[in-house]
Amino acid sequence: MQAAAQNLIFSNTETIPGMTITQSLGVVTGSTVRAKNVFKDIGAAFKNMAGGEIKAYTELLQESRNEALFRMLNDAAARGANAVVNVRFATSSVAGGAAELLAYGTAVVAQ
Amino acid sequence: MASGEEEPMVGLIIAAFVAACTIGPWLLSLVATFLYQPRKRKVLLERETQAALKGDALTTLSKPFGNREIKQTKMLMANVVMSPSWVQMWIGGIMSLFGGQINVFTKVVDWARREAQQRLREKVAEEGFDEVINMRIETTMLTTTRGGKDKTSGVEILAYGTAIKY
Repeated sequence: MQAAAQNLIFSNTETIPGMTITQSLGVVTGSTVRAKNVFKDIGAAFKNMAGGEIKAYTELLQESRNEALFRMLNDAAARGANAVVNVRFATSSVAGGAAELLAYGTAVVAQ
Repeated sequence: MASGEEEPMVGLIIAAFVAACTIGPWLLSLVATFLYQPRKRKVLLERETQAALKGDALTTLSKPFGNREIKQTKMLMANVVMSPSWVQMWIGGIMSLFGGQINVFTKVVDWARREAQQRLREKVAEEGFDEVINMRIETTMLTTTRGGKDKTSGVEILAYGTAIKY
């Protein structure tokens, strides 16, 4: 199943350029809530003083977004789709330095 | 006698320590705001200029121009978390009493947005794609809880789109 998820095509356009969609399999979602460790949080608080990019947060959000995306693709693969179109992201910051990331899209069969 | 002479010294040391703890971070923040941040922005501008010479790869169109054959598509994304410095937060706090444009925050958010887009451009070039269609930008506020209060600790900008290869 995981090997299938890796091979899925996904796109944030309504159609996949160069392919035609033959069947829609409904909405698929994937989400994750993540928090950093305390030490990185302290580091980020120091960086806050100077302003600019906070790499710890950038990496955290990138990793978690990939995780959410992967869960969404797994969901799509389980339904027998070979592509996901119109992928959207939603992020909300849960209090206490944790962030919830949601990825959703429409699973389709494309040729 | 000896202890009487030491006391002013001890007081001085304590005063210096307190001053370093209270003013020190602000001084650091001031230096970072007016020296470190502009330098980073200059580097970004150079990267942007180099990318612009080859033509911008990013578009917000939902379909690619023309009807060339497309070999491969892949969704790519790039993100960045930026935070205003203490000094910028302080200036912004005062400026928001008067309303209008708050330049310090505009600068930080604009910087973050440009950085995210530039990263997407670089990623596209790195992976060998020609163009990005349907590029979208998303903004999220990040907060941390400190003493029961939610405090803004930064803003996350995500730029994503569908990369295509002709």
